[in-house]
Parts: sequence; C-alpha cells; structure tokens
Amino acid sequence: MSIIEASGLTKVYRRGREEIYALKGVNLEVQAGEFIALVGPSGSGKTALLNVLGCLDAPTSGMVKILGTETRGMKERDLVSLRRENMGFVFQRFFLMPTLTARENIELPLLFSRKKVSPGRIEEILALVGLQDRAEHLPGQLSGGEMQLVAIGRALVNDPRIIMADEPTGNLDSETARRIYQLFQELNEKGITLLTVTHNPELARLAGRTLTLRDGKIVGQG
Amino acid sequence: MNFVTLAARNLGRRKGRTALTVLGVAVAISLLFSLLSFNSGYESQLNREIDSLGVHLLAVPKGCPYEAASLIMHGGVIPKYLSAQDLASVREIDGIKIASPMLLHQFYVSGSPHVVYGVRINETLLLKPWWKVEGRFFSDDEAGVIMVGHSLAEKENLTVGQKIPFGPQREEFQIVGILDRTGEQDDQFHFLPLAEAQRIFRKQDRITTVAVKVEDVREISRIAGEMEKIPSVQVVTMAQITGTIMNLAASARTLLLSVIAVALVISAFGILNTLLMSINERAQEFGMMKAIGASGLDIGRMVMAETVFLTAAGGLLGVGASLVGSGLIESLVKSWLPYAPGGSFLFADPALLAFCLLFSVLMGLICGLYPAVKSSRTSPMEAIRGGME
Ligand SMILES: Nc1ncnc2c1ncn2[C@@H]1O[C@H](COP(=O)(O)OP(=O)(O)OP(=O)(O)O)[C@@H](O)[C@H]1O
Ligand SMILES: [Mg+2]
Repeated sequence: MSIIEASGLTKVYRRGREEIYALKGVNLEVQAGEFIALVGPSGSGKTALLNVLGCLDAPTSGMVKILGTETRGMKERDLVSLRRENMGFVFQRFFLMPTLTARENIELPLLFSRKKVSPGRIEEILALVGLQDRAEHLPGQLSGGEMQLVAIGRALVNDPRIIMADEPTGNLDSETARRIYQLFQELNEKGITLLTVTHNPELARLAGRTLTLRDGKIVGQG
Repeated sequence: MNFVTLAARNLGRRKGRTALTVLGVAVAISLLFSLLSFNSGYESQLNREIDSLGVHLLAVPKGCPYEAASLIMHGGVIPKYLSAQDLASVREIDGIKIASPMLLHQFYVSGSPHVVYGVRINETLLLKPWWKVEGRFFSDDEAGVIMVGHSLAEKENLTVGQKIPFGPQREEFQIVGILDRTGEQDDQFHFLPLAEAQRIFRKQDRITTVAVKVEDVREISRIAGEMEKIPSVQVVTMAQITGTIMNLAASARTLLLSVIAVALVISAFGILNTLLMSINERAQEFGMMKAIGASGLDIGRMVMAETVFLTAAGGLLGVGASLVGSGLIESLVKSWLPYAPGGSFLFADPALLAFCLLFSVLMGLICGLYPAVKSSRTSPMEAIRGGME
C-alpha cells in the first residue's frame, strides 16, 4: 500500500508582489517501508516538498494522501493528531529544548500526545540511539551528533510509521553523519518509512530510492 | 514531566528578567493589598470607635456644624450651648433609654490640648459599661474631685489620691480614680462631675450636648425627628458622623486608588512586554513543538502557565512583603488621612489575602491571554525553515 501519495503538488510563496514557485507540479508515491532520499540543488524545493508531505504546510494546489486519507480540508486539530500519530520529524538544527535533559527531550512529544509509555520504552529508545549514559545531560552538554541522536529519539517516541528529516546531517561531520544514516537504515529495517533530504550523494546512496528535485520538479529517480 | 515543570524551567532560563517581572508584580500587589486591608480596617476601626461612645444620637446646639460632632468624639469646644430646658425636652420623648448631659471644655497646657468632660457618672457608666477604674468613680454631688484617662495619667505621672491644681482658678482637685485603659479617646480626657465642671468654667446650667441612647435602634429616626422639633436643638446621628468622616477618607482613598491603578497597569505592561519578548525569542521552539505534536492549545496553555507562575509569585511576594512592612505602610497611609482612628487597622484578613492572590492570578490570565493566543498560532514552518526569513 502507498503510505504517502501526492499528485499535482504546487507551492507558491508570495514575497510582496513577487510570486515564488517552490513546487511546480510534483507527483509522488511512497510505499510503506521505503527509505527515500531527496536531493537537489539549493532552492530546488526539497524543504517545501517535505513540509507539504508532512502536513506542516498546505500545498497551493494538488493533493496529498497520508495512509489513504486526503489532507485537504482537514481541520487543524485533525492534522495535528494525524502528524502526531504517524510522523516523526528531524531537523537540521536539532531544535531541542535547552532546559530539558536528553531523556526529557525524548519524552516531550508524550506531553502533547498524552500517551503513557513504560519507562522501559524510553530506555529502549535511549539504547537504540546509543545515549544510555548521556540521558541526564542537557543539550548544551552534548555534541552536535549526540543532539541529533536525541532529536531522532524524540521523533521515535510516539511510534511513528514515517520519519521525515530535513538535512539531518547538515551540521555534522561526515563520520557522525554516517552514524546517523546507519541508524536510519536500522529504523528502516524495523519497518519505518523514511524520507530524508540530503546534499550528500554518498549518504543518498544508502537510501533505497533517490528523488532528484530541480526547480520545483522531480527530474530523476534512482 | 508536565506543563508546569516545562514552564518553570523556561522561567529559569532568564533569571534576571523573571525576577524583575516578579518584583514589578509584587510592588503592585502589595500596594493593592495595603490599600484594601487599610480600607476595611479603617471602616471597622471607625465603627468600633463610634460604638465605644455607646451613644446613638447627639443633641447639639443649632448651627453647630457636623464637624463639631466629631470634635465631641475627640474633644474640643463648641461655642454654643444647650440649656437645662432643652435637656428636659429631650427627656420627654418616648423610647429614650438614657439622655445624659455633658459639658465639654478644652484648655491648653504648653500647646497641647486638654479636654475636660463634665458628666453625670451614673448615666455615663450606663453608656460605657466597660469602664473600670483604679481608685473609685466620683459621685455626681461631690466637689473637688476628678478622674483621668489612663494615657493622660501615664503622660503626666498622675496617681490616685494626688491633688492637682485645676481649672481657670487653679483650684485644688483630688484625683479619685484613674480609668483603666480603654484603647479609645477616653484615655486622654479629664472627667469632672457635671456640676463642678459648670461651676469652674462658669457655665451654670449649660451643656454642650445630650448623649442619647435609645431603647430600640429601629426607632432612631423617629426619635431624631422628635428631637429636631426642639427649637434650639440639632440632632446628629452616629451614622451621619461616620458618613462625614468616611467622605473625607474617600477622597484620600481615591487618590491612593489611582496611584495603585497606575502601578497595576505599569506592572501589567511589564509582564506583557516580558512575555512578548520571550515568545518572540521562542517562535522556532513553538514551531518545533507543533511539528512534534503540540496543538495550539498546548502552546497557549504553556505560555499561560508561565505567566500565571510569574504573577502568582509576585502576588505571594507582594502580600508577604506588605504583611512584614505593614507598620511602615500604616504610618504612611495615616499621614494622608484627614481623620485616622487610633489603633491599628492593617491586619491579615484571610479573605483579603485570598483576594489579592487571586487577583495576581487573574492579572496573569489577562496579561497572558494575548501572548498565549499569539504563540498558539505559531506555524510549524517556523521551525523547519529555521530563520530563513
Ligand atoms: N517562506 C517563504 N517565502 C518565500 N519564498 C520561500 C519561502 N520558503 C521557501 N521559499 C522559496 O522557495 C524555493 C524553494 O525553497 P526550499 O526551502 O524548498 O529549497 P531547498 O531545496 O530546501 O533549499 P536548501 O537546500 O537551500 O534548503 C526557494 O526559492 C525559496 O527561496
Ligand atoms: Mg531546505
């Protein structure tokens, strides 16, 4: 079954009187369990596409279906729960709460989803991202790579089916970046669908499928 | 982890700013608390003082202004008098329990006023059953005897049995009794048998006022009406005296209230400013939270929690500080007032405490409303675009 389906997606940003076409008709189908890398030059619309697919932003026209559900016309409240139940997000700049420890950052989405998980589940996630011994550290006491691992842990805590990552390794050295992608592969093997934007062709090769964007259109896959 | 810890940790991020905001709220709330507790204290203290007169109505000479009535409470001289005939007419009215004539006189010793009351002792003791005395009460037909209030005796080192020169002729009077402390104005006065007072001040058959206690307080207005029919008499009810003083106090209070209103508004803007600064700095954070599943309501609630934290802390601090510093505040406030009753009137009324704390919470809810709504609308895009704009 296709977990994400999009057709005829356009996204227009207005800056004053100027109109910027970030997406110019994107058609896409993602099967459950795929690992997809989005590549392309800067300004080609990768972030715009990810935001629209992740329901963080509405397309100007076109259609997005998540797990078979049309998102157009959905209420904000329903979009929030759709995202929260099914998707985890990882950002280039981590966006951890500086006042919370690694463990608390990982637990943060539970505050919003009002889900209870066993303490064992948090330990499991800490072990999966390899941060058992840094659990009580604040983000300021962690390296960039460790911060991104916390952010991935946070994306996992609600048991999402899909993880969307926008240049998750953009701020990391290549060694750490490789470690992050290996973790993505592990997650993918557990059945999680992954969509990740990257500039790094070497990392893109670790994904199952690569989509190349140029000028708001998908111009190639492989 | 919950919204409260999240909010508390956030406030800890900018300790200086948080502390200043809390302080601003504390100042405003402590002003509010002081004014309100002063207000209720002032009224109850005044009422107690008037009750302590034990009198419902005063007959005073016509043309005697109402302000004179308050002089009667604190002493003073009214340059007009009632006659024995007036007293008799008052006594004819039905429903009067006690009608006691009094002559007031005031003289100065080295600039400070001394107030003399000529009274009928038995009637006075009916009006003021709480009076107790060291030594004894004089009787109405005695001559050359005097009683003094407790504070007066203390101030002038007077003792029971002592003989002092008194009155315009410096006649010798013996102190037969010193009143136990009443906590009221009576503590400051000299008391003479009415006849003696009339004799030494040369006011034969004259009285300053007739203090009236009625059988049934529901009849006060009827009795007052009948007293008004006596040609030379004007009636002052205690309610009128209270009203006059309250009116004077009200203008002072209005002034204080406007000062406090300004302080509250300033501190509210302080809070608003702090909040708006803080939510602007955290726009990306809110966007991230939305992306990881927070609803607008969640974000708004968090901002609200922070605000109420701030103002409630300020409220606690302010109320606490004004309890500690109430003596200082009281003397400050008293100096503003045209008439300040004796005794303390700032006290920790629990209802008032609760009100002020509630008010500080309410202030938080109001100040937090706009920032909460604003931050709840943060788009998750903010986080992802990460300052691209
Ligand atoms: N909020 C916005 N307002 C106006 N224009 C925007 C906005 N967001 C994106 N754009 C424009 O849309 C186009 C696509 O942007 P997008 O961020 O998707 O590119 P990208 O492929 O992610 O680039 P990068 O690799 O640099 O992140 C760009 O031309 C960009 O300037
Ligand atoms: Mg981008």
